[in-house]
Order: sequence, then structure tokens, then C-alpha cells
Amino acid sequence: MNSVIGQSVPRRDLTGKLTGDAKYAADVQLPGMLAGKILRSPHAHATVVAVDTSAASELPGVYAIVTPFDVPDGNIAPDVPILDTEVRFVGDEVAAVAAEDEFIAQHALELIQVEYAQLPFVTDPRAAIEPGAPPVHAGGNLVGGEPIILERGNVEEGFAEADIILEDSFSTPAHSGAALEPRVAVASWDGDDLTVWKSSRGVHQDQLLLSLALGMPRDSVRVIGGAMGAGYGNKDETRLSVITAVLAQRAGRPVKIETTREEEIVAGRHRHGTFTTLKMGVKSDGTVTAVHAETIMDTGAYLSSGPGVVRRAGQGALYLYRCPNVRYDGYLTYTNTPSGGSYRALGAPQGHFALELIADRAAKAAGMDPVEFRLKNHVGPEGQPGERTTPANEIIDTQPLEGGIPFSSNGLRECIERGAEAFGWSDYSPSSEENLKRGKGMAILIYRGGPGGRSIARMRFEQDGTFTMISGVMDVGEGSSTVLPQIAAEALGVDYDQVAETLGDSAITPDSPITAGSTVTFSAGLAVKQAAEDLRSRLLSSASDVLDLPQSDLELDTSGIVSQSGRGLSFADLAERTGSVEVEASVSPGSTDFIVNSFGAHFAEVEVDTDTGAVRVLRYVAAHDSGRILNPRLAVNQVEGGVSQMLGFTLTEQMLTDPAHGATLNASFLEHKSPTILEYPDIEVIFADVIDPIGPYGAKALGEPPSVGVAPAVVNAIRDATSVEVLDLPATPDRILNLLAELEDGDA
Amino acid sequence: MKPFQVLRPTTLDAATDALSGSGIDASILAGGTDILGEVKEGTASPAALVDITGLQGLSEIQISQKDGASIGSLVALAQIETDLGIQEHYPALSQSAASVATPQIRNVGTLGGNLCQRPRCWYYRSPLFNCLKKGGDTCYAVQGLNKYHAIFGGDGCHIVHPSDTAVALTALNASIETFGDRGLRQTDISQFFVGPETNILSETALAPGEIVTRVVLPPAAGARSIYLKAKERQAYDFALVSVAASVTVEDSTITGARLALGGVAPVPYALPEVAAAMVGTPVSDVSPRDLGQLAVRDARPMTDNTYKMRLSSNLVARAVATLLK
Repeated sequence: MNSVIGQSVPRRDLTGKLTGDAKYAADVQLPGMLAGKILRSPHAHATVVAVDTSAASELPGVYAIVTPFDVPDGNIAPDVPILDTEVRFVGDEVAAVAAEDEFIAQHALELIQVEYAQLPFVTDPRAAIEPGAPPVHAGGNLVGGEPIILERGNVEEGFAEADIILEDSFSTPAHSGAALEPRVAVASWDGDDLTVWKSSRGVHQDQLLLSLALGMPRDSVRVIGGAMGAGYGNKDETRLSVITAVLAQRAGRPVKIETTREEEIVAGRHRHGTFTTLKMGVKSDGTVTAVHAETIMDTGAYLSSGPGVVRRAGQGALYLYRCPNVRYDGYLTYTNTPSGGSYRALGAPQGHFALELIADRAAKAAGMDPVEFRLKNHVGPEGQPGERTTPANEIIDTQPLEGGIPFSSNGLRECIERGAEAFGWSDYSPSSEENLKRGKGMAILIYRGGPGGRSIARMRFEQDGTFTMISGVMDVGEGSSTVLPQIAAEALGVDYDQVAETLGDSAITPDSPITAGSTVTFSAGLAVKQAAEDLRSRLLSSASDVLDLPQSDLELDTSGIVSQSGRGLSFADLAERTGSVEVEASVSPGSTDFIVNSFGAHFAEVEVDTDTGAVRVLRYVAAHDSGRILNPRLAVNQVEGGVSQMLGFTLTEQMLTDPAHGATLNASFLEHKSPTILEYPDIEVIFADVIDPIGPYGAKALGEPPSVGVAPAVVNAIRDATSVEVLDLPATPDRILNLLAELEDGDA
Repeated sequence: MKPFQVLRPTTLDAATDALSGSGIDASILAGGTDILGEVKEGTASPAALVDITGLQGLSEIQISQKDGASIGSLVALAQIETDLGIQEHYPALSQSAASVATPQIRNVGTLGGNLCQRPRCWYYRSPLFNCLKKGGDTCYAVQGLNKYHAIFGGDGCHIVHPSDTAVALTALNASIETFGDRGLRQTDISQFFVGPETNILSETALAPGEIVTRVVLPPAAGARSIYLKAKERQAYDFALVSVAASVTVEDSTITGARLALGGVAPVPYALPEVAAAMVGTPVSDVSPRDLGQLAVRDARPMTDNTYKMRLSSNLVARAVATLLK
């Protein structure tokens, strides 16, 4: 039979999403269901002194109100109670109402009288860690009280060896993932049991957090994910669903809260804004001798996934270039602004922006072409110089600091070479008109991903002879509901269409990690593969008993069990004998010998209108090493999606905070300017010919890496076209025009 | 959002009555692309919306070489964009309509609504800021983020007028016909839009209950026109700066010129000095760059919008150079 792996089988969720048949959390309708609304802080920082709900509670149609003064004890996260008497950003949750409909709920919010005592606030992460800055939380604004400092070798010695030192400071904006589906939660109680439908990146984690916040046994909480209108990693916020559950409990009726676009942008989770200073030392022949990056990252009012994100912002500086002496200092700071969180590639785009602009400068200083510089210095299959410190039998972190460990596979060189060739890098000759300047730029990238937490999957042979793959992961839009059945079908030896899937419901799927860190295909995939292989063995063994033939004579194919003698069993016949058969596999993905990382090289051609400062990306080549590609069409979609999405980060998107008041000024699709189809360039996607020895069927991480290279490739191209270098993203027309003006003044 | 009732008058008299005579706070509803947003955001909370789409005679485009053009206020922006007569005689207007927002919005948004839309200033649009335009006493843009705000005028309030078509119609010397308590009247477009120094609470000279009925354009008479709009993305975006220019050339000499900038002032910002410098000048003597410089001579940028001077200057130069090519 043909291999299912490597086939562009159609997405499982495609028809439902295109026809409107797909059921999102917002589509859940329950008898007697009420509409909830949340009252949000108008102040950047305040104590909630008192809340008067008397007028609101007398409004006909109002069923429940929750305030910080009557909320159950409980925390959603260590720094996030269910509701707090201290509010920490404009838009922070203060109280909530459940009513007959949305209009009554909204009216009730307007009748709630809140007395605030305003507190001093800080919106700039650099100011937040100065002495005397107003503390966002008790204990100070620098998370952990000190920066994370990671050093391999001795960076001062590395700079002493350098002939040339390049250094500059960069900034990147907070920007929203702009998922089309804003956050939604529906909560319904049956006695002491709670069911929650929500847009989710992990139903099992949500189940755990809900049970902890509400002080319930975990088994009494069921979380159902449903279809997702995209997650991009940040549908991990659970305060909304806990508030919804409390309202539903008080009202004695189910409650749904659908957030507005403004709430989604402000009270959802966005990519952390950063300030980075990066210093690189090179010898006159272009050899990198030292890299030192320092990042101040704004986590906003709450921690969310900030510690993981700030670590990841340093991995490029620590590991992309072969270098014995590197260092990263990461400062994660609270401010009185909306909370950052997980957003596709978690800090890596911010770190790579600084690194890859400096790398271009280093190339120029050494008299080298940018591609030549990368080919000379990129980290190779052997990994970094140095000594392994991880004990021999331990799984290697996918984001190591130490040297001395090879990669399981490393196709970075192939990405650079094939990408450059496809782009036409070496013989590029732009046609520039007077005001329309064209240029080329590139960047390379490294990304952790693949091995995630312990993953469990089940495979079930049903009573009617069909197969079901059962995993607790959520398909947040990346395609796991398609690729996991593909892996199952391949391991079983049947067709893709013969395997149904069950995902995203905590009650009927095994415990699974969140869909995050580009780990699902790799980690859940390994568990699915193992479960499918085990089921295949079980069925062959059963068939061997039924047919009285040695198992070694039997094969499982799309028709059932077949033997060389011609005797066989259809799956239906086999199922009549075996009944339903379910197997479960649990794996701890990773390697004790290798680092499992993904790589890429991006190339962009831009045209800058020097009259207007407008940048158009004309052409884009994205070359990726994500191991073996299990579903080419979905993989190309992922790369095109990541590149297109990050054109927003690069050129137009940013969350803007009024400095005097702390309010987010542009929380709308109109003003948080995500690119439209008109901005998308022609994107050519190339996959390196790599089969990873660790991942399922040779696959590695793919979901996030495409996001990492976009900003530096485009901004390097802008510099090539115009001679101005944008150090602060997004590269909006005002910034380009101001830089062009500075350039002219300098020339004059 | 507060509940509101919708009234559907079928005559102009009834409409203006519903708007001003009934004693309730009412706003006009045509395409709804602006007012419904304001209602949802809470910037406006009228007790009634007066749906004027049932009024007769406000949906026609009439163009003649001799009399010029008459465009009903209910004509959709998409119609203006695609009307062959407008494309031929008043390309700046066609181009300005085509530059608005998205196809969906242009299909329902009307010319009258585009002229009468409220400002996009984020302080004005946010319920958290009681700014001058909402009866407060502060323009928050002065100390706040003002990248999109005015570089001209801004007497206290630093909004920019958001309409694209208003800029084109200023360069095309339009008149705005309105109907109100005192019947029909025509107002020169330069008098139709008013800055904060005249009325902080409104951007037009419309009296209470008065409705825009038609836009009247003088004959094109051989003038060439153009509308250029700089924005941050190609669709669904207001102008950072826009320029409209209309130029008449006879015997290689400029005999007529009108120009206006958008996105730079609380009103469409006419450039009479630039026009005066052009009229009477042989085409071969025109320096677009110098005219661009002249256009921003009186600009007073704020902290974040100095770039608008360079952008305005460049767009004026490009518009002039393109028209004289």
C-alpha cells in the first residue's frame, strides 16, 4: 500500500469550517443559558475599595453578580486570583454579571458603582525596574528578583579576541495574535460537576487550573474544546472560564461569556514587547568570537508564560552561531499594561530580530556577503563547542546552553544554500526607480520544539471494525486533527480515511500537554505511533489465534488481516471475534544523545517608497528544516501563515498604550493593523531534505519556526534598499520617513 | 450599547422632523458604517436612528459637460468608484472613493455618510477619555500619542478629518446641498466643514436636523485631477496623509489649480497658496518639490507626527508632477 506519510491528505476540519458546520464554543446553546459580561478597570492601577451592586442586582433579568468581595477564594495562577481587590491594567477584570441577555448584562455593568483608590503605575518595562518604581505586585517588578544570566565560556574573553565589535539596541512591540475567534467560555453545572466549553489550547491543563481555582476534584471538571478560530498559543487564559463558572453556579443556570474584539486584544494574551541590546565580536576574517544579548521583556500585569518566553528570546544569541563564548541576560518585568503570554514562537522573533540585524552588520564589517557570513558561522550538526554537562542518561533539553552535544539533525546549511538559490541571491540586481527602492535581505533561525511533556495516546479498534485515534490535544488550527490520524494510519498500515479521531475533551481523552511549543506532531505523534503499533500487534496476534496461522505469516492492510496463504479476515469479522480493543501508549519524547531543534533561512525582497515610507514585500523565500514533512500541504500552509502573520509584527501591528493614563488606544482590527491579503507577498516554501532520527517518521517542529525569521529578513532588505536601518518595530511609514530625513540631514 | 429605536421616514420633511422636531436625541442612519460603530463603542448613544435610505431622489448620479455633476448623498461609495462619468470627469473623486476602507464598506457606505463621519481620534473614540470633542476640557493627544493627529489648525482639538471624498471634493470645488428647517440650501465645501475653533462638537456646518441631500460639482472643463492616499496597509485604513489636486492647463500654462490635503487638519485642508503659485506658471517652470515645501510651510507638528510634513510635501509634489506629466 502507499505510504500515508508525506501525502497532502485534506484537513479533517476543513469542510466544517468552510460550510459553517464546525461548532465553536460560541455555538454552544444550552437550555436556560444566560449571557455574562465583565466589568473592567478604567484605571491602570488601583485598589478596589468598594463595589455597590444594589442597583444592578435589582435590574430585571439579572441573575448573578460576582465581585472581588464575594468571590470564592482561589487562584487561576500564583499572581492571578479569581477576582482581586487590586486591579493592575486598564481592562483588568473587576466584576461580572450574568443576565437574561447581553444587553441586560451590559446595562447591569453600567449600574455597578465601583469605588477605586488609584495607585501609581508604570507602563515602561525599563522604568519598571528602576529603584522606586511603583510595584505592580508585592515583591517588585523584576520577576524573580534578578535577571536570568546564561553564559557559555567567557564572553569577555570572546570580545577580547575580536577584531571588530558590533553593538546596538532594538525594540519590538507588543502585538496581538488577532485570532479571528475571540475568547469564549460556557459553563454549566450539574450538581457538583462542572462542564466548560471554551476556546482552549489544552483541555487537560484548563481542567486542572479550573479545578484548582475552584477547589474541586479534577474529575468533577470537564473541559470541551470544540473547533478553534485559531489560538497561536495564547488561548491559555482561564480567568474568563473561572468567572463564567462562578456566575453559572450562582445563577443556577448555564452562562456564556463571549468577549468582544477589544476585550480579546486587551484582556487576551499578546506577544511580549522587548528592548534588546546585542553585542557581537568577530575576527577580521568574519569568525564570530562572542555574542552577548540583554533583553528587557514586558510581561505586563501578570506573569502568564513570561519566564519561558524570556528564556527563549535568548536562544538565538546563545546557539545560532558556532561560538565558544556567549551570554544572555534576560529581565522579565511587570508593568501596568495588558498581560503578555504565549504567542507563536515565544520570544524567538524578538531575539532573532536583534541578532540577525547585528549579523548583517558583522558581515559587512568583515567584508562578507550576508549569506557567506552565515555559511561560515552557523551552528553545524556537531553543535556548539564545549563540554556536555547533562548527565549521560538524561534527556537533553531542546534549549541547551552547554556545548558538546550534536543535533539529531541539522539542515540549516541546506536551508541557507537552497533558499539563496531559489531567491536568486547571488545575482540579484534590483530595478529601482527614483522613489521606489528595492533591496534584498535574509536571516537564519534556530528553534526548539518537538519534544514536549509526557504524551499519552489511545488507539481503539471499534466493535464495527473501524479505528479511532484518541488524543487529549487540541487542534488550535495547526492541523493535528489531520496529522495525528495520518501517523496512526501509517503505523497501522491502513488508509487515512480508515482512522477517525477524538480530540479536545478532557472527559474522554487521556491527559495531554497543551498545544504549545511546536510539540504536538512530534510528541503526541510519537505516542500515537506507539499506540497504533501496539494495536497492530494486538490485532495480528488475535488474528493469528482466530486463523490458527503464525503471526509472522500475517499482515495488516487496508482490507483487514491477510496472509500469504490467501486466508484472511476483514476488520469487521475480526471485530466480531475480538470486540472493541483499546491500547494506550505513553511516551516521554526526547533524546539522551542529541539536541532536537528546527532551523530555517528566510529571504525577502522589498520595495520601499521613499516618498511615503511604505514598504511592500514583493517576494519571499522561506526554507525550513523541520525534518520529514508528514503533510506537505499543511506544512506549506504553516509556513505561509507564519510569514504572513509576522509581516504584521514587522510592518504594522503594535498595541499602543497611552503613557499618561495607561489605556490601550488601538484595540480594534482597524487600528491594530494586521496585514490583509493585499500585503501578502508571493511566498516560496522549501523544505530541507532531512529525516530526523528521533521524531515520528522523521518529523521535527514546524508550527512556530516560520514566525522567527520574518522581521530580520524584511528589515535587512529595507536597509539594503534604502540604507536606513529600522531598529524599532514595526517598520511603519513614519519611522522610515524619519530615518530617511535623518539620513539626509547626516549627508548634508 | 444602549437600545435605540429606528425611524423610517419617507419624505425629507418627515426625516428632518424626526431628527430635530421630535425632541428626542436622534442621528441619521444611512450606510451605518460609522454611526453603528459609534453606538457600539458608546461614543454615541442616540435614542433614535433615522433611517434615510427610504428617501426618494438621493441616489442618483447626473453628469453633463455643461452643468457639471450632481451626486445624491445616498449614492454608495462603490458606485462613485465605478461610475464611468465620474471616472472620466472627476478622477480624484473616483479614486478617493476607491481608497476607502474595504469593498464591503464601500458597498454600503454612502457619500453623505462619508462626508459626515465622525473623527477617528482614539481619545475621542474611547469612553475612557472625556475629551474636548465630547464636552470635556482636554485634548489628550497633546500629551499622549499623536502620530495620526493634525499638523495644521488643531485649535485646542487636534483631530484630523477622516473623509477621503471630502478632500477630493475640496479640490474639485464642490458645493454641498442640504435640507433642513429652512428648506434646501447649498454651501461651498470650504464652508461646509468647520474646525474646532468654530464648533468643537461638530465637524460640519449642518444645523440640527439638517440632512445632506446632494453634492454638486462644477463642470470639469478640461481640468485633470488626482487623489493620492498614503496609508499603513493597503485596505481598511484611513489616510496618514492624502492629497487631491485638480489642474487646468491651457497652451502649456497652468490656468487653474485647486489642491487639498487630508489627514493633516480638523478639516480637509485647502492649499490656496500652492494653487496661487501654480496659476499663470508655464508647465515647464513648475517645481513640484518647491510646491510640496510650500504646502507645509505653516505646519505645526506635534511630538509624533513630524513625518506628516515630509509625507504631505512628497505627496503634493507627486500629485503635481503626475498631473503635469
